[in-house]
Amino acid sequence: MTLGSGGRVDDPAPAVSLPEAPPIVSEAAPAAAGPLKVKRGKPIQGASGLGWMFSAPALIGLLVFVAIPIVIAAWVSFRDWSGLVSPFDTEYIGFENYNDLLFQDGVRRTDFALSIRNNFYYVLFVVPMQTTLAFVLAVILNNRFLKGKGFFRTSYYFPSITSSIAVTLIFVFLFQTSGAINAILPFETINWLDNAHGLFHNALGLIGVEEPPTWMIENGFMGVTYWQWIAGPSVAMFAIILLVTWTSIGTFMLIFLAGLQSIPESVEEAAKVDGASTFQTFWHVIVPLMKPTIFFVVTIGLIATWQVFDQIYATNFGGPQKTTITPAFLIYFQSFRNSQAALAAAIAILLLLVIMIFTFLQRRLIKSTGDV
Amino acid sequence: MRHRTYVVLVLLMALIAACGDGGSTDTTTAGATETTTGDTAGATTTAAGEATTMAPEEGSLEGVELSLWGWSSSDAENTALSDLVAQFSEETGAVAAFQPQAEYDVALQAALTSGDPPDVFYVDSFRLPDLADAGALAPVPEGAVSNPDDIYPSLREAFTYNDTWYCPPKDFSTLGLVYDPDVLEAAGVAVPTTWEELAAAAETLTTGDAAAVAGGTAQAGLSMGVEYPRWGAFMFQNGAAMTNEDNTAMTLDTPEAREAIEYVAGLYQDGYAVKPAAVDSGWSGEAFGQGKVAMVVEGNWLPPAMAADFPDRNFAVAELPTGPVGPGNFAFTVCYGVAADAANPEASWALVDYLTNEEGSLAWTEAFSVMPARQSVAEQWISAHPELEPFVAGADYSQRWGFVPGFGDVLSVFNTGLEGVVDGNMTIDQVIADTTAAGEGVLGG
Repeated sequence: MTLGSGGRVDDPAPAVSLPEAPPIVSEAAPAAAGPLKVKRGKPIQGASGLGWMFSAPALIGLLVFVAIPIVIAAWVSFRDWSGLVSPFDTEYIGFENYNDLLFQDGVRRTDFALSIRNNFYYVLFVVPMQTTLAFVLAVILNNRFLKGKGFFRTSYYFPSITSSIAVTLIFVFLFQTSGAINAILPFETINWLDNAHGLFHNALGLIGVEEPPTWMIENGFMGVTYWQWIAGPSVAMFAIILLVTWTSIGTFMLIFLAGLQSIPESVEEAAKVDGASTFQTFWHVIVPLMKPTIFFVVTIGLIATWQVFDQIYATNFGGPQKTTITPAFLIYFQSFRNSQAALAAAIAILLLLVIMIFTFLQRRLIKSTGDV
Repeated sequence: MRHRTYVVLVLLMALIAACGDGGSTDTTTAGATETTTGDTAGATTTAAGEATTMAPEEGSLEGVELSLWGWSSSDAENTALSDLVAQFSEETGAVAAFQPQAEYDVALQAALTSGDPPDVFYVDSFRLPDLADAGALAPVPEGAVSNPDDIYPSLREAFTYNDTWYCPPKDFSTLGLVYDPDVLEAAGVAVPTTWEELAAAAETLTTGDAAAVAGGTAQAGLSMGVEYPRWGAFMFQNGAAMTNEDNTAMTLDTPEAREAIEYVAGLYQDGYAVKPAAVDSGWSGEAFGQGKVAMVVEGNWLPPAMAADFPDRNFAVAELPTGPVGPGNFAFTVCYGVAADAANPEASWALVDYLTNEEGSLAWTEAFSVMPARQSVAEQWISAHPELEPFVAGADYSQRWGFVPGFGDVLSVFNTGLEGVVDGNMTIDQVIADTTAAGEGVLGG
């Protein structure tokens, strides 16, 4: 801990800067303040104009492709818009779309609840798995004595730059009934991608809970029974979880690697001199120093996993039995297959809220374990 | 110093929020973005169109630009339609072009939203209610389509919404029982014509469970998608249907419908029928092509798929078996719709009529396996495709494939439920109850 915060006692600012930057950057802070500013913080004549000019391309891009579409999506979600006419010719219907999704008993609410359940389990598995594995890989690759680093780095990164659809199709072949996975595993031959059984249900079955308690199937929340809520990811969803974890590890490994390489050797040496074992050095020195990077990776991971679409679309189109539908998939389905574009916009806004809540919780969680 | 901390924090939060958004609204923004591109493309066409419409005289289409949008099915079909459209251009002087779209639904939606739709575009009968309801389609003007009574009534009905006829069908397909004649003969099985015979044939032809079939060491009797567009035909054969004829009320909760679902589900539960995914195939046609199954229930799209992917596969087509009440089938069809705000309605309808009149519909379908929508040329089509005659026979008793806007939700409940029945974790009563509730929500009954 002492070592972790040692580098930045005087200025907390860099601690929250983007974690891609080296975590120990006490000298970077004054540099960031820039030569364009005078000591007292009074801008030089015309400097703010220059600043705007330089950031204009990025800002305009954000405005046109992100900010304005969000505002339009939010506006559209309150209207009765099929997506087949100009949205300006539509009627204002208040919160009807949201009501359908959240409160009104019916297929829309059930579908939305199922999509949230499916995606929640997906996030629950993918984010920890990809973060841990990527971190472990990065630590191994950061070893000074490892030979052929370039080769490993490239091969781990390769899945990330391959088209997600191509990777998905290969996984479809691997996980099908006559696929390689079934050939290797000594279990009953199943088609993984066509199996709707929940993993938690299966686990409960193993310990003898075959029949759910009656209250769990008679009561529910948002049109989905409690028994269904605790189903866990379906076998099909689990195959997708494995696929996505495998694909995304490379990118996060690279980010971790950049973070690890910015930790000066002297820090590790100092720990050694203090008598720390390899594990202690790792757990009490490296991990705390990597916290900003971990925060970044988990945040990006959370945001990306709540938006999973390609893999869902290409494996089973939301099936089997809707156990792989996700909010992003529902947005597509409602907008382009069911001509309910305003409803899709409402789902998009709700998904945004979900992502914000989870990012916020995650931030609080990481913060509570120490400074970030 | 503290102040700067907050600025950085706020920026970071904004960035996170921005990232979150970019993707979450992806599908919606994608539409919006494409709108812009569609806009410019459309604008150029209209601008050019308006510039030239001033020149032609009454009745002449000289120089009128027309765009026809559709999805791309095969190179051969794209070329054939392009040729037909080019012929129209040559005869009338119009400048018409067929422009197949890669992501058709998305592209059309973007074009409609931006107010610059193509003049003429494909409309699937299932999509018709959505488009008609949105006011995107122009109704057929009196006399614009030659000899409308010649068109199969069920196909005209498929493009009629709220008593308004919107567009003439381009062609159509029905379902048939496609089988491997060699396998049936070797097993001594006659082509099934009733439910009992189908069940018996499927049983005899099944030589192993789904895992063995997937592994290529056994054969299943029948492969069929677990969805209403297949199972519905069996419901019709038992005098049942999901909705009444006007699509105003759900009619699923009847003994007839239950009996039909029980019959079909039984085939799967006994292992004589498999869903394509269970034997590692994307669709039944693929399972059939790979020789994993002896019979499939598919439509006119199967022969070209076989020719393309499994040219050596021997197959024959029979009419669907007759149920306890009678025959039943679906007619899947697509029409040429004219945009409500087409720049040149007259020229657009002239093109549509050219493509769908006796001559046009035969010219279009003769080289392919889809059938002409006009009864007067059915005989000529059959003489070109004698082996596909059972599909034409299906036209006599087929029902339309189309409901009301938003009905996709209901079908997804039904199809999901059927999957559950086949997998053994849902009961038929549950499926009927869930679907009826969902349907009543949409139909308002």
